[in-house]
Amino acid sequence: MARTPHLLLVGHGMVGQHFLQTLTRRGGAHRITVLAEEPRPAYDRVHLTSLFSGTTERELSLWEEEFGRQHGIDLRLGDPATAIDREARTVTTRSGAVAGYDTLVLATGSRPFVPPVEGRDTPGCFVYRTVEDVMAVRARARHATAGVVVGGGLLGLEAAGALHAMGLATHVVEFAPRLMAAQVDDGGGSALRRRVEQLGVVVHTGVAARGVEAGEDGTVHRVTLTDGTVIDCGLVVFSAGVRPRDDLARACGLPVGERGGVVVDKGCRTADPAVYAIGECALTSDGKVHGLVAPGYSMAEAAAGRITEESGEFTGSYPAASLKLLGVDVAGFGDAHATGDDALEVTYADSRADVYKKLLLTPDGRLLGGVLVGDTSAYDVLRPLAAAGAPLTSPPEALLFPGGDASGAPSGPAGLPDEALICSCHHVTKATICAAVSEQGCTDVRAVKRCTHAGTGCGSCTGLLTKLVESTLSRSGVAVATGLCEHFPQTRPELYEIVRTHGVTTFSRLIDEHGNGGDGCEVCKPTVASILASLNPRLGNSVHILDGEQAALQDTNDHFLANLQRNGSYSVVPRIPAGEITPEGLITIGEIARDFGLYTKITGGQRIDMFGATVDQLPHIWRRLVDAGFESGHAYGKALRTVKSCVGTDWCRFGVQDSVALAIELELRYRGLRSPHKIKAAVSGCARECAEARGKDFGVIATSAGWNLYVGGNGGMTPRHADLLIADADHDTLVRTIDRFLMFYIGTADRLERTAPWIERMEGGLDHLRSVIVDDALGICADLDALMARHVDTYEDEWRATLEDPERLRRFASFVNAPGTPDPTVRFVTERGQIRPAPVLLPVPEPAVAR
Amino acid sequence: MRDTPRRIAVVGAGMAAARFAARLLALTPPGGAEVTLYGAEPCGPYNRALLVGALRGRPAPGELGLPAGGATVRTGTEVVAVDVAARTLRTARGLTAAYDALVLATGAEPVVPALRGPLPRAGVHLLRTLADRGRLADAARDARTVLVVGGGALGVGVARALARPGVEVHLALGASGLMGRHLDAGGAAAVRRALEGAGVTVHAGPVVRLLGDARVAGAELADGGRLDVRLAVLACGVRPRVALARQAGLSVASGVVVDDGLAASAPGVHAIGDCAEHRGVVHGRAEAAWDQADVLAARLSGADPDALCAASAPYLRLSVGELEVAAFGESAGEGTGAVMLSDARGGTYRRLVLRGEAVVGAVLVGDVGAVGDVGRVVEWGEGVEGDAVRLLWGG
Repeated sequence: MARTPHLLLVGHGMVGQHFLQTLTRRGGAHRITVLAEEPRPAYDRVHLTSLFSGTTERELSLWEEEFGRQHGIDLRLGDPATAIDREARTVTTRSGAVAGYDTLVLATGSRPFVPPVEGRDTPGCFVYRTVEDVMAVRARARHATAGVVVGGGLLGLEAAGALHAMGLATHVVEFAPRLMAAQVDDGGGSALRRRVEQLGVVVHTGVAARGVEAGEDGTVHRVTLTDGTVIDCGLVVFSAGVRPRDDLARACGLPVGERGGVVVDKGCRTADPAVYAIGECALTSDGKVHGLVAPGYSMAEAAAGRITEESGEFTGSYPAASLKLLGVDVAGFGDAHATGDDALEVTYADSRADVYKKLLLTPDGRLLGGVLVGDTSAYDVLRPLAAAGAPLTSPPEALLFPGGDASGAPSGPAGLPDEALICSCHHVTKATICAAVSEQGCTDVRAVKRCTHAGTGCGSCTGLLTKLVESTLSRSGVAVATGLCEHFPQTRPELYEIVRTHGVTTFSRLIDEHGNGGDGCEVCKPTVASILASLNPRLGNSVHILDGEQAALQDTNDHFLANLQRNGSYSVVPRIPAGEITPEGLITIGEIARDFGLYTKITGGQRIDMFGATVDQLPHIWRRLVDAGFESGHAYGKALRTVKSCVGTDWCRFGVQDSVALAIELELRYRGLRSPHKIKAAVSGCARECAEARGKDFGVIATSAGWNLYVGGNGGMTPRHADLLIADADHDTLVRTIDRFLMFYIGTADRLERTAPWIERMEGGLDHLRSVIVDDALGICADLDALMARHVDTYEDEWRATLEDPERLRRFASFVNAPGTPDPTVRFVTERGQIRPAPVLLPVPEPAVAR
Repeated sequence: MRDTPRRIAVVGAGMAAARFAARLLALTPPGGAEVTLYGAEPCGPYNRALLVGALRGRPAPGELGLPAGGATVRTGTEVVAVDVAARTLRTARGLTAAYDALVLATGAEPVVPALRGPLPRAGVHLLRTLADRGRLADAARDARTVLVVGGGALGVGVARALARPGVEVHLALGASGLMGRHLDAGGAAAVRRALEGAGVTVHAGPVVRLLGDARVAGAELADGGRLDVRLAVLACGVRPRVALARQAGLSVASGVVVDDGLAASAPGVHAIGDCAEHRGVVHGRAEAAWDQADVLAARLSGADPDALCAASAPYLRLSVGELEVAAFGESAGEGTGAVMLSDARGGTYRRLVLRGEAVVGAVLVGDVGAVGDVGRVVEWGEGVEGDAVRLLWGG
């Protein structure tokens, strides 16, 4: 009987994990063991810096326990391989364990290069490669006022962004004459430098660090540079490039390159046919060590292909990167440094905005490469054009200014040549994608992804891919598929119906039974969360949106039951129904704002917003609000916000009905009702319409005979007056009609669709709506009524419920790993007697980052 | 009403003089004024700005003539003295003439650089007059190696004009580099590429010596390098011709100092064009000279006795063969920001210099299709808001 071959993977980084996924997807019949050095499974190293802006370690993780169980993967964390015996086909680990293999895959990655600077081992010196590194830098930064980053490349600037965001006076020391020397030219480098300097980061180019000096406490005290500059600082981050980790291979006699890297062939196989090397530790057949994630993924796929079916090749990759560093968009692709007669430059520079764009072309008009600083919007189209090496079809200056170009020439995916590489991870060309649509019948992005694998690597091409698929579909006359996202072919209303009629109570069941499996995405997770929240009373679920699996589905605002603001702090809005508030209530809010140092502002919805709270303050603030009788205002949720009112008959000389009392009743009735988008409402006491009810999703205006109900109004970017649905209704008819209107909307609108576009989109429009919810043409009114009754009965205040439950409260620690420590990136200054966010730009890496 | 002068003597018969005469006589009733131009050159007024182009035969030298509106033009008649008290002038031929108003339009003369050693007796040329053009064109016809000394607009123009297959043209720059008064580094680089594309070799220079005794036999550069050339053109700028004014006791700085009404420091004496210094600036370009001629004509004709000369923004336009350059205002400056678009394929370079949102300078090299719009925007100090790119495109 054939023994199941044993595959041993050494290293569990991004490339290693991608290898596992590819291998298991291809159905390789292996027993798999993974030896990992780090104490945690593979995570998204590209976005390490996002740990400083609120991303959790959990969110960075690329590993699912379920994946490991399903494929029987033996993942051994914190026990790196220390030796390979190729004769015996065994690997020894640090703990002394010995693992045999039939096939060995090395994915050991690279190590940071620390230049030989005197004192580089002084406590307070760091590298920037792992989660542990980030944690250590963060801990040290709390006690430092200035920091030096050695290295002005991509990684160095990212580290500098992290130090800057933590409020340190930040210096970048780069030996080359410009920043990001590998990716940009002099012009781009200087535009980048000016932008970085405007943030307050001090840039030293053309110099090296000479020494690190320790202070009396034995830790970093100052750094001297080769030009004699002395920088007093509390920490140093070395970020001057990486070197392939080829020691294991070297020690067991496998050939390695002169400058490092395990030598592999096109199939990523080393000189030993049983041993493969992939990712940053490999020296590939094009003679290069590739440091970006996209070629690493390609190698993982090549190796997995070879191991499972003797096919799969890695012959090199097209150098390209687009990223955001210190808030500056930077992109480079192709040969950005080509010179001489064979390269003609087209350059655009705007020194006011520090925008710099350069294209390099051959004399016959082919794009060789380019540099974009400050505005990288052209990158999506330029990269595949350059990679294809085909003659340009539109003038280059038009390509530099997508959308806003002065020449009117076509741009976007339609202008790309057929051989343009759209997905560099999987080498998928435009022609292949177009063929998937026109010949293989793919009708949406999801199908194209499944068919071609495009967009399933690093994901950076998804935007371009979507545009291309849509334009191809519309050219071929196919209706564009309306599925929610790649995980669900259904629309939101269809999913709502499935949840309602099948009684599906969890996201995982919904995606397994009705979607295409997987983990979901940023589109479907919050959408399903909202559907579940709307239907929880009917499903018998806990109505609390942070309970069980639901918590992980929520977006950031719902996650903390507060509104995230631009500097990483949160705002708090208690419900003030119809804007009616007692003096005691005002005093309570005032005292809380004073005690917690919050900025206060009256909102457009007749309530009071308190800004500047940190996550860990939220429960304390709410404890006092709840004790004083306040409830959540759901300002953070896709839910009913406010029912605004005018003063009404009690006080106003013109009022014909008691608008305040009705507004309070409606606001309390619909509070906490989760919906496809926010819902705003108002009640005016007479035709003067002081509450601006016709600008709301539903608005009520008093008449001498009763109430007029208007629906589908909207303010914002596309204002629309609400339309009259029923006139002169009595109280009960009014409330019943609103009940049905809201429940019908929740059941049938698309995600993030306000009532105004929902009605406009509806076949038959307002008349159809009236026939459904007034005349019950579809026979669903009883059901709509019952749904609303369940909602009203089961409503509970989310904040009160949160405060009563220690489990729910635990998520409000500022850092999951350091409870009680306020978020150090949240800073304020004072203006007009109140606080406002300090002008700190958080580094927000784009998902498109490839490294 | 002031009396208008009857007898008006204009010293010089160049572009400013001709424009003044034509404009004044058009504004004066027949017989109302007698205008006499005294020109040292043997020919009547012509358009000096087109001399470089005429070197290549476009336009033909015979097409350069300018009208003087029926004024008396005394060619080959150099004025050697002026008595501003007596209001008389004297010519080289000994003639003395009385005037009611005197207009100095003596123009400028080329600067001959101070080189080591004497200049060779033949093969060294200037290009200021029609006669210079004729001599240079003749000499260049058979020359195989040419050196142009000076990197200003004239030197660049001459080098480009003389460049043709089979002829080795060298351009040696002076202290201000390649058109450094008008162009930023990027613009200069674009011009350099255009010159090199036409076969001109550009040297940082400067030239320190012309070799040869009877004829030019080569040139020596400051860095010790030698150029094997047989023809040299000196294009090292011009200086206002002010000897006469100085002799007459007028106030002279770089040029003849005039006020906004173009009056010099003695009653009845005025100065216009390349010899005049207005508000501390000697403009040295035809458009400014014509503006001054128009203002003075309006004043002296009585059509607008109070006409004044405004400050005038610098402007440069060079067009020789395919080499097109336009520079406006603070074209070589940085302003508070600049927007630049350069395309090596067509050899185009376009740059706007801004102060806040106002365009205060511009450079166009290669494609000057936007010259009208850009010139207007710079002249009026208009803002472009977000439309800098569109303006650069000329679209």
